[in-house]
Amino acid sequence: MPDRPVHPTPCHPRWTRRQAGHALLVLTAGAAAWPATTLAAPDAQALLARSDAIRNPSQPFKVTVTLTEFEKGVQVNTTTLLSLARTLEAGGQFASLVRFVQPVRDAGKVMLKNGSDLWFYDPGTKSAVRIAPQQRLMGQAANGDVVTVNFARDYQATVAAEEAVRDGEKQTRQSYKLMLTAASSDATYGAIELWVDAESSAPIKARFFAESGRLLKTAFYRKFQPQLGVDRPTETVIIDGLDPKAVTLVRLSDYGLRNVPTSWFQRDYLPRFSAE
Amino acid sequence: MTPPFKPALIVLALACGLAHAADEEDALDLKSAEPAPAAAAKAASGPRLTLELAALHARGQAGQGSDSGHRAAVDLRWTGKLNEQWRFGLSNRLDDIHPVLPGQRSTRHHLREAFLGWQSASGLQSVDVGRINQRHGPAYSYNPTDVFRRGATRSVVTADPIALRENRTGTFMLRASQLWDGGGASLAWAPQLTRSGRENSTFSLDLDGTNATDRVVLTVNTKASDRWSGEALWVVEEGRGPRLGLNLTGLVTDSAVVHAEWSMARSPRLIDTALGGAAPSARHHQATVGLTYSLPGGLSVTAEAAYNGAGLNRADWQQLFAQGPAPVGALFAATQADQEMAARRAWMLYATQKGVLWKQLDVTAFVRQNAVDRSHLAWAELRYHWPRFDLALQWQRGSGKADTEYGALPYRQVVQVVGFVYF
Repeated sequence: MPDRPVHPTPCHPRWTRRQAGHALLVLTAGAAAWPATTLAAPDAQALLARSDAIRNPSQPFKVTVTLTEFEKGVQVNTTTLLSLARTLEAGGQFASLVRFVQPVRDAGKVMLKNGSDLWFYDPGTKSAVRIAPQQRLMGQAANGDVVTVNFARDYQATVAAEEAVRDGEKQTRQSYKLMLTAASSDATYGAIELWVDAESSAPIKARFFAESGRLLKTAFYRKFQPQLGVDRPTETVIIDGLDPKAVTLVRLSDYGLRNVPTSWFQRDYLPRFSAE
Repeated sequence: MTPPFKPALIVLALACGLAHAADEEDALDLKSAEPAPAAAAKAASGPRLTLELAALHARGQAGQGSDSGHRAAVDLRWTGKLNEQWRFGLSNRLDDIHPVLPGQRSTRHHLREAFLGWQSASGLQSVDVGRINQRHGPAYSYNPTDVFRRGATRSVVTADPIALRENRTGTFMLRASQLWDGGGASLAWAPQLTRSGRENSTFSLDLDGTNATDRVVLTVNTKASDRWSGEALWVVEEGRGPRLGLNLTGLVTDSAVVHAEWSMARSPRLIDTALGGAAPSARHHQATVGLTYSLPGGLSVTAEAAYNGAGLNRADWQQLFAQGPAPVGALFAATQADQEMAARRAWMLYATQKGVLWKQLDVTAFVRQNAVDRSHLAWAELRYHWPRFDLALQWQRGSGKADTEYGALPYRQVVQVVGFVYF
């Protein structure tokens, strides 16, 4: 793929894929020089899979998602959604059915994500519209923020470093920094930097990049609580890459097991989906 | 790079790094003031009631005066489950419009949906009966495969084709559906329920529009891949030849979606129907193709081209206007109620931008052009959202010669302020 310049900003100098690759080499070299606490190099893909298993239950489940948006510290929007997610036989990636609960003007609208099959159903117009991953559905909440995704299915991971990182609770934790590059056409991001706990593999922090190399957002995973048998992050703080004063809190609550047929995850079922 | 710039760049980089670190620290201190999500979810179940209030000012064509008007609407939508297998839907709207539109009543009730539905435990089989709003076709401006659109739009309070769909009335039908992985099929029977002409009472069910003939509609949907899917339709209607239809959508890139619709049937030409003489049927094709492109900043643009083989060509428009205002009015009334495209060829650009200047401000705009007579209609809306209230400013302008589709609109320009209260 040819190098493509990105829009330079004072705080985001021009990066190209080649430069990112160079940086990755440097970081990888740095990791090799690190006085390692373990004898064998960790398997990056296994770390990523373990991190996925902490973020997402392995069985079909339901969860309530609340997105609270802030602009310069002031709360400006709230969206509440009910989500059903399950892995499908083909590919093993999650498929999600998401029903809007709040704001009231959007109540009853449904989003479906099944790989690149992305649909939005509006009960007002009775129409199901295919949408592009880049298309925004409502306000500032990104589609990728509200659906369940296993990174290990769509990205190839390498260990870039073992380092101390500040987590979402402002504590310093020892971590592995993983470099994730898109390995499937369904991948939402061009690349991801993901810090996972050095002992538990729990996700701590992530930086998401567009294919152009532009930083899209930074996420902190925090408020770990036992949900469906595993300590999982119940809140994600998402900081916009271009405007760091634009912040979204994603809260996950009311986890429960809910097994629904795979045939529900298609356009024709959307008018009948209630999520209850 | 010359040396004097280096320290400045280092300082700038350090400043940026510190600024980002400070932003992250601030972000991690944020707390939501929202109620517990479980309470919010519970509060959102049940009927949805919307109150709509509007005031408008309309400027007539050259040499004509201006008009003012106002309207109010109460809109109810309620879809619920009786148990795991049974559900119901109720949707209606009460409009009060002043001044009264020609040939209509000031206060008008529309029963859009009232149905009872059953589905098997797996959800794969379902049967619905009642008034159902069954819609087909992905296009924005003109839907040749939307076989239940005829006579279904009696309340025209906006020029926005997307918003107009919210006011469309359903059809009484019995419908059975079967789903499978990656597809599904449905069979609907919509019986003729009236043989009388136009009903115009306040609480009319509009059966003359939605259930004037017997119809059977078979649809089959399939997904070719994650990126491509399509639907085929076959319609048999009393007194008409069968109609075939196909529509498809495809994800071309992560930013671009294409859509297309096509249908074919024997039908009379619109000009013949409008002029009221003999209206022989002939085979006509109708089609729409479009592309929607989305930009990361929230801008989404759709370009569409549409063709109606039964629509008016240049000679037809001239013939129509030569007959005086009555057939022109008849044509526009019929095409509006049927959401039919009067012109043989047309195109549209439709754009939405979310979060303009403020996160709560959305802009929507479109331009439609009759590609035969070159007249066009422009429409734009600024809409600001509060948690339970929307305020919209809408502007509309028709341009063209007096004997063209949009040049013949009674008003050259309309400005409307609309408030939406969500309960």
